[in-house]
Amino acid sequence: MNQSLRNLLKEWFAKAKHYLRAIWLENLKEWKIELTYKPDFIRGLIDPLVYALPYLLYGIALVGGRTSENLNRLVGTNDLITFVTLGYIFVGFLNMALWAMGFALRKEQHWGTLEAVFAAPVPRWVFALGMALHSTLHQGLMIFLQIIVINLIFKLTIHPQGILPSLVVIGLMLIALYGFGLMIASLTLILKQGWLVSEALSGIMMIITPIAYPLSVLPVFMQKAALFLPTTYGVMTVRHFLIGEQMGFSLWTSFLRLVILGIFWVGVGMLIFEIIDRRTRRSGTIAHY
Amino acid sequence: MGYAIEVNNVIKKFKRGSGLKKREIVAVNNATFEINEGEIFGLLGPNGAGKTTLVRCIATLLIPDSGTIKIMGKDVLKYPLFCRRQIGLLTSGERTLYWKLSAKDNLKFFAALYGLDKKETEKRIDYLMELLGLKEVQNERVEKYSSGMKQKVSLARALIHDPKVLLLDEPTLGLDPQFARFLRDFIKNVLNRQERKTILLTTHYMDEADELCSRIAFINQGRIVDCKTPEEYKRDLPHSEVLEIKTTLITNAKELEENLSKIPTIEKVNITTQNTITHFKIILPRAEQVLSDVISEVQKYAKILAIDVNEPTLEDVFIYITGRRLTEDTKEELELE
Ligand SMILES: Nc1ncnc2c1ncn2[C@@H]1O[C@H](COP(=O)(O)OP(=O)(O)O)[C@@H](O)[C@H]1O
Ligand SMILES: [Mg+2]
Repeated sequence: MNQSLRNLLKEWFAKAKHYLRAIWLENLKEWKIELTYKPDFIRGLIDPLVYALPYLLYGIALVGGRTSENLNRLVGTNDLITFVTLGYIFVGFLNMALWAMGFALRKEQHWGTLEAVFAAPVPRWVFALGMALHSTLHQGLMIFLQIIVINLIFKLTIHPQGILPSLVVIGLMLIALYGFGLMIASLTLILKQGWLVSEALSGIMMIITPIAYPLSVLPVFMQKAALFLPTTYGVMTVRHFLIGEQMGFSLWTSFLRLVILGIFWVGVGMLIFEIIDRRTRRSGTIAHY
Repeated sequence: MGYAIEVNNVIKKFKRGSGLKKREIVAVNNATFEINEGEIFGLLGPNGAGKTTLVRCIATLLIPDSGTIKIMGKDVLKYPLFCRRQIGLLTSGERTLYWKLSAKDNLKFFAALYGLDKKETEKRIDYLMELLGLKEVQNERVEKYSSGMKQKVSLARALIHDPKVLLLDEPTLGLDPQFARFLRDFIKNVLNRQERKTILLTTHYMDEADELCSRIAFINQGRIVDCKTPEEYKRDLPHSEVLEIKTTLITNAKELEENLSKIPTIEKVNITTQNTITHFKIILPRAEQVLSDVISEVQKYAKILAIDVNEPTLEDVFIYITGRRLTEDTKEELELE
């Protein structure tokens, strides 16, 4: 191996180490700050459960039991509770992108630490990945607890061999959601009421993602719109693997579209982030909130 | 030795307000200066002069409208990561740390952003906490610290990666005198003399600039009006004295200022009012010669409370050059293009 190539590799290695460590410590820092508000942290863990239960109970009350022949006719599984619980997980992922990640920069701005972070010699995307890692782990923990508790109450039935492929699907979907999160994170820096964007988007996405109902019950234009959301493919494919939901498209289509959506939304997120970063550094609006 | 920082014809404007009230502020107006490696360079000017804006441009936090900035020979816009690695940034104001974290956790996080590995981080934190006398409290949350201690932690953060260049933006602002004293000594003795760091220090305290800086640029309304050593500045007023008068409140100070300026040999008059007391600074060769004329003129307007004659200080030179005091806030009307 010649000398310059070796040096290049060495440099590259050092850089990778630097960035990975920065991502990890950003994640650790967020956990530490979060855990200083213990009551809030615990509430954050319990809230989603409390919100999930009415969905389930409402379903049971309407259908008159936990199985629904109508659901079976629509998607090929009659287990309403598992269907809705699995769907509800994706509310968590949406919240992660739209709120946790979406407000990470705004939060730093509010604390007054954003400039110090942006003055450091790491590309902005490293910081963004740190935010993404923390929000994902945080959300992962909440979802895990949620499933355990709901399973204790209702006994969920799934195909265990579907778990691994489901995780792959969720991973793919997360990439696209990080793109969303990045886009919102940067919008909140320039919009005084950035939460309106999150509010609107989460409202829309929550309705058109088939969380508590099959895609086919939505009006046709919403079904079309749903096909642009990564969560649609996430939720349907995961339910396909775990409880045999019939999706109306092939697994291949689902994977391919998730990959395309991932590339698309990460591209959009990075682009908007970059544009807003340049804009705020020109206009001098970043320090003001 | 090369330049550590080169600032070349930098202009930075901000837009303010919206609709009809929209206007442009020229925060930095064609600034040019160079800072040698190893020197403490001061940027001295009143509030609103454009010091922070310049520092933020150098630190890559703002993009200038035009002009170039180089750190250790490299352009900040072309090589932002390289340039940020060379710089340690300390700003005034307490809210630049994570208050819910300990000093140590704050530093650990920033060390990672600056590319230090675990071992280097531990070593560096130990060293800095010892040096700054924070060892005992390093595991307590920053929110419990006094402002002086918070500023020390911010300084430790600026030093975490042992940068060659330090940007210190009004580092002693709002600190009690004892902490300010400590910080000034630390900047001069440890950071500059021992560790040979290049330092850009902004301040509106004349003493601070006089004491610490090898060269000082006066900045007023975004413009660098002059740049030389403190001694050279003082030589600007070689044969001058400063006549200082305190009186009861004067409302039409402008008129009095004009009348006083007409008295022969008087070179500069500056009048400011603070808490119902009006302060005069009159720069002239020999106060004695015109004292009676000045007194009788002033007495037409108010009661004289005190009179004093002094050697010119750096601030008097600033007044001589700009007509304004360092403690005066910049009025924004003056800053319209
Ligand atoms: N981000 C900003 N947006 C709009 N105006 C600004 C901004 N930052 C500074 N200014 C204005 O630019 C001028 C210079 O400010 P600054 O650089 O903070 O001065 P100094 O640090 O010398 O007190 C002031 O009139 C200030 O109000
Ligand atoms: Mg300032």
